[in-house]
Amino acid sequence: MATKSGVRISLNLARRFIGFWSEYTKSRIGVFGLIIMLSFIAVSAPAPYLTTYSIKASEGNIYEVLKAPSSKHLLGTDELGRDMLTLVVYGGRISLLVGFLATIIAGVLGTLVGSVSGYFGGWVDDLLMRINDIFLVIPGLPLMIVLSALLGRGIWNIIFVIGILSWSGTCRVIRSQVMSVKEKSFIESARAAGAGDTWILTRHILPNVLPLIVAQMVVQVGGAVLSESALSFLGLGDPTHISWGMILHYAFSCGALSSGYWWYLLPPGICVALVVLAFSFMGYSLDRIINPRIRAR
Amino acid sequence: MGMREFLAKRILQSFLMIFIVITLNFYLFRIMPGDPVDIMFNPAIGPEAKAIMMREMGLDKPISVQYVIYLNNLLHGKLGYSFLEHKSVMSAILERLPSTILLMLSANILAILLGIILGVVAAWKRGTTVDISSIIAALTLYSMPMFWLGGIMIIIFSVRLRMFPIFGIITPGVSYANVWEYIADVGRHLFLPMMSFGIGTFGGLFLVMRNTMVDAFTEDYTLTAKAIGLGNRTIIFKNVMRNAMLPVITIVSLRLGFMVGGAILTETVFSWPGVGLLIYRAVMAHDYQMLQGVFLVITVLVVLANLMADIIYGYADPRVRY
Repeated sequence: MATKSGVRISLNLARRFIGFWSEYTKSRIGVFGLIIMLSFIAVSAPAPYLTTYSIKASEGNIYEVLKAPSSKHLLGTDELGRDMLTLVVYGGRISLLVGFLATIIAGVLGTLVGSVSGYFGGWVDDLLMRINDIFLVIPGLPLMIVLSALLGRGIWNIIFVIGILSWSGTCRVIRSQVMSVKEKSFIESARAAGAGDTWILTRHILPNVLPLIVAQMVVQVGGAVLSESALSFLGLGDPTHISWGMILHYAFSCGALSSGYWWYLLPPGICVALVVLAFSFMGYSLDRIINPRIRAR
Repeated sequence: MGMREFLAKRILQSFLMIFIVITLNFYLFRIMPGDPVDIMFNPAIGPEAKAIMMREMGLDKPISVQYVIYLNNLLHGKLGYSFLEHKSVMSAILERLPSTILLMLSANILAILLGIILGVVAAWKRGTTVDISSIIAALTLYSMPMFWLGGIMIIIFSVRLRMFPIFGIITPGVSYANVWEYIADVGRHLFLPMMSFGIGTFGGLFLVMRNTMVDAFTEDYTLTAKAIGLGNRTIIFKNVMRNAMLPVITIVSLRLGFMVGGAILTETVFSWPGVGLLIYRAVMAHDYQMLQGVFLVITVLVVLANLMADIIYGYADPRVRY
């Protein structure tokens, strides 16, 4: 009996996924975004196996310092004689890792607070929303700067800081969605059948809100990558890990601007822009699927 | 709820928010790992100066007493002393506020104009190449790190083409014959930071403007206006714009927090001597009294600006009050 219903559920899921997939692939920019994101992951994840140069600060070639792109170094070298292409490929790992992990923290927090707030209402909602207001009003980047400066430079600190300061928007969206779902009649019948709050929330409401959560999170990954680059640029990044933001930080601090070392500045910035763009494209397409009102136009 | 009641409620809320922000700002710098005395003071200032400042902030007393002292200091406009700038945090901020306001005002006017004009055009031509390409352009510009865009502009226009100065707000060591020369010099320095902030941030406003206008164009009243034979220009400016301005007010007020972040990044790239550059310098030198002071001031300013936006909104749209 249990396995039978299990099969039915997974069949249902598969059918829903196929339906979703065919809807998603209708949007050209959505597919484009997905391809960009997957290519970045495909290149960055196996970085040690794809690159021949070292990214260790001590292992740069001191005879090849700040060289413009050539056949030997396709994207040139930095002030320590390291190969820029290799740095950028490695940088993607850290930037994307920060992006995904910070988004997961923010997504879980936002979903938790938003669904509790929207479902229970009353004073719980009031209290949580006032807290949410504080996070919405306080300017994000300055608070991130203050927290990072106090916590010290480290990759986990950055993930933590971006994660716990980026949930307020998601929380609002989830809350309003939960509020509308909980008024539906199937919730009432579940309650009449004796279902408790936790059961209703996890089994009936969350599955209905899930697409929205995913869409919200997809857009947020890009935001987190941008936040990481900004914090690193300001000198709050982790000096022991190379991210795109850290490469930009080194570029600015070694005077790449006034000396016109364009090859030092261009690659990491283009990578950030492409990844952020990819996630906004994907978010845009997901939004069209979730909000049929937009699709109709 | 009448306008007066609405005002009273919003003002009360804002004051409560400011109080919470002050409290948060106080505790943030004390609950962090490490000795608050070490966090707040640079070892370089010497033991006597440290002793005087500790007494002033009550750091040898219990934390609740410190909090009262902190509030009292704030009431007297004291935000602490910056060992980096060798002056009080308050006077350092006041000194640099005008250049930040100049940059933000000009850059935001640019961003808002770009966002609104392109938004209306894209919505009017929705579905066409013009629309799609402006969406993609806006998203692309929006995806770039703002400080990076600024850096690229410096390399192209300042270093290669030598059209604009690389950094600062005036050319150092120059004496001006008259006020117009001074204004021209500031203008030349202002141009690139203003462009990079404006171009880097109009995307969000553009998308909201476009979507609201698309909604408005498909509303019944627009169809009616078309049916009775009104011209396109009349429809856009008389009927549609009016209804679409409200979300713009919201977005502009939501931009405030975002703006502050952008100011820090832009000022850092262009070494623009504003409040944002103070934050960067404070972070670099571990000048935590400065960091705490600047953070408080900008947060309070953002809360107040939000309040103002809400009041404007309340006047513009009577529905808010009821």
